[in-house]
Amino acid sequence: MTPSVLLWRVAGTAVAVAGALALRWSTIAPWMTVTGASDVARVRLSWSARPERVEQCRTLSDEELSKLPEHMRMRTSCEGFTARYLLSVSVDGERLVLDTLRGGGLRHDRPIHVFTESDVKPGERRLRIEVTRIDEGESRAASDSTLEPMAVATDTLMGGRAQREREERSRREAEAIPARLVLDTLLSLAPRRVVLVTFNDDARRLVARMEH
Amino acid sequence: MTLPAERLASRALRGLDAGFTRLYGWRYQPLHLTGALAFALLLVLIVTGLYLLVFYRISAPWSSVERLVADPWLGRWMRSLHRFASDAMVVAVIIHAFRMFAQSRSWGPRVLAWISGVALLLFVFVSGWTGFVIVWDTFGARLAIAGAALFDSLPVLSEPVQRVFSGERPVPSAFFFINLFLHVAIPLCVAAGLWIHVSRVARPKLLPPAVLGTVVIGGLTLLSIALPAPLPPEANPLELVTDVPGDLIYAFWLPWTERAPAWAGWTAATATFVLALAIPRFMRRAREGEWAPSVVDERLCTGCNQCPQDCPWEAIAMRGRTDDRDTLVAHVNPELCVSCGVCAGSCAPMGVGPALRTGRDQLVLIRDLIGHLEPDAEPTIVAVLCRNAPPSHERALVNAGAKLHTVSCTGNVHTSAVELALRGGVDGVMIFSCPPRDCRGREGPKWLEQRMYHDREAELQPRVDRRRVGLATAAAGDLRGTMLAFEEFRRGVQQIEDVAPDEGDLPEPLCDPQPVSARKVRA
Repeated sequence: MTPSVLLWRVAGTAVAVAGALALRWSTIAPWMTVTGASDVARVRLSWSARPERVEQCRTLSDEELSKLPEHMRMRTSCEGFTARYLLSVSVDGERLVLDTLRGGGLRHDRPIHVFTESDVKPGERRLRIEVTRIDEGESRAASDSTLEPMAVATDTLMGGRAQREREERSRREAEAIPARLVLDTLLSLAPRRVVLVTFNDDARRLVARMEH
Repeated sequence: MTLPAERLASRALRGLDAGFTRLYGWRYQPLHLTGALAFALLLVLIVTGLYLLVFYRISAPWSSVERLVADPWLGRWMRSLHRFASDAMVVAVIIHAFRMFAQSRSWGPRVLAWISGVALLLFVFVSGWTGFVIVWDTFGARLAIAGAALFDSLPVLSEPVQRVFSGERPVPSAFFFINLFLHVAIPLCVAAGLWIHVSRVARPKLLPPAVLGTVVIGGLTLLSIALPAPLPPEANPLELVTDVPGDLIYAFWLPWTERAPAWAGWTAATATFVLALAIPRFMRRAREGEWAPSVVDERLCTGCNQCPQDCPWEAIAMRGRTDDRDTLVAHVNPELCVSCGVCAGSCAPMGVGPALRTGRDQLVLIRDLIGHLEPDAEPTIVAVLCRNAPPSHERALVNAGAKLHTVSCTGNVHTSAVELALRGGVDGVMIFSCPPRDCRGREGPKWLEQRMYHDREAELQPRVDRRRVGLATAAAGDLRGTMLAFEEFRRGVQQIEDVAPDEGDLPEPLCDPQPVSARKVRA
């Protein structure tokens, strides 16, 4: 091996070492940072809840029921839609989010899924979140005590259906998000902290959670 | 006709090749071997990945990796090697693709390899992303959230995927299981995809030379031991992180995607992928001239079955004759033929090859060359070079007194053309091939050497003085090597006593035709 070739090989080794170091550097590339994250806090809204169903119900007569197949004979017939809600998020009176919430799915009859994030300045902040039903109307089914039981024997498959219908409607109504939800709270937001706002199913209200 | 982008890429590649050849020599020039290096690194990934899999827990992803990293004897560097090898593999694959593009090796019969290669690269990226996510450190979480945000912009799922990482509840183990499954399954698909990738080539060389493979893998191992990849802190969804050291190679798109709207991210990704897939469409040429596929002259074909064996692309098969001769006849499938012309050199009776490049066409060119030779005090040396040889080498050889003869690939050179040149008054024929692992015809230098020195069919006849025939490699960046080989060969020729060439016509070498039944018939 001539001296010049040897020199090239040494240079090749140096290039290989530099390449290896560059490869290692690329695995922890320092430029890939979240810009501005050091001086902000974040309000994150994340929850799922069933929207209220706005519907008009009426009781079918025995004659109307008899025209239906047996397995479709429900005493109460309801038509309607799922309600829309207005979501408003403001911090210290400044509105950050104003959005309309609708149920998922093509018919919007699936649960509402909320996920939104807003960056705010750290410090003492008044956070106000409102969820207000937009569509007027109410479901009468659950509270309608005038509905009569079905005219079928209680020991058949269809027996007790009216009761079950009422229970189902009550359950759905209970699951639905209230017509108005408000969270108004004073928070001490530390830099780089996230305030998580969720809907508590049991308490049926919005709650804010934050790590300290 | 070449595209401006291809010309530019070709020039850049030649410069890179020259630089790397100076640094490492052409035998172990890593840029020639990027495909094989990528495969070797995939094997490293599989081996190290199996080890890591034993210790990984989907129920405690970060903690299990932390325990691994805490083990200085094996776990720490195995994880680092896994990660460095994955990065190096992507680099190798991208250089490999660039090389194929710059050398116009992406279209025609190579479309399948190109398309499958693009798909494989996508799979490699997806597998890499899942690998980062399953660690569930700050970088993995950032990658997962960015990916989820992109998915959420599509009108597919009503529930935002990002809610999984919102912090309402711990990230479910099912999420890590799915990612782990993909991380293991995709490389298996990649291994299967590699079979498709190389399915059009005969005798694919999947591994690099042992020396280079050892140096690369050993070097990465040393790097893993000396400077292991750090483990970022565990992801905390309720904390914003300011410094997330990220993997530049797998997540080069991440900072931009986080700032740009999701539709821009999707548009850029889709456009890149479609453009990559469409490159063969832009690069294709008319199958004529230098790109014309080989054809068989059935009158000359003896059915010796040599050209199907030598064809590096499995484009030639033997089939029944239409005349009454009791042999098979070669048939070239133009859909598979890349016009490398290797078959022209492999056919003793000169019955196959691309138009104007068959053995008979070569004899015509050699006769023309001999006819223009001028008496010279110096020995007359004909330097045969591939058309892809570096122009600087051509100039240097001409300046050194060589008579230049350019061929489409030195693997095309018929031994009879060499013999004819020597009989015609040339004192020596020196054939300069491309580096063997950089031959665009794939096996040109190998078969040339076999025919010249090892009696492979269409061999150089015993009557030819081997001292007057030289083989060497002309690699960009190794002009000195080329010229040293030439000077040494010329000195050797000068020392040979001047022997008068045989008189009479040149008998054509013919192989022995074999009966149909005794021959392996290629499908």
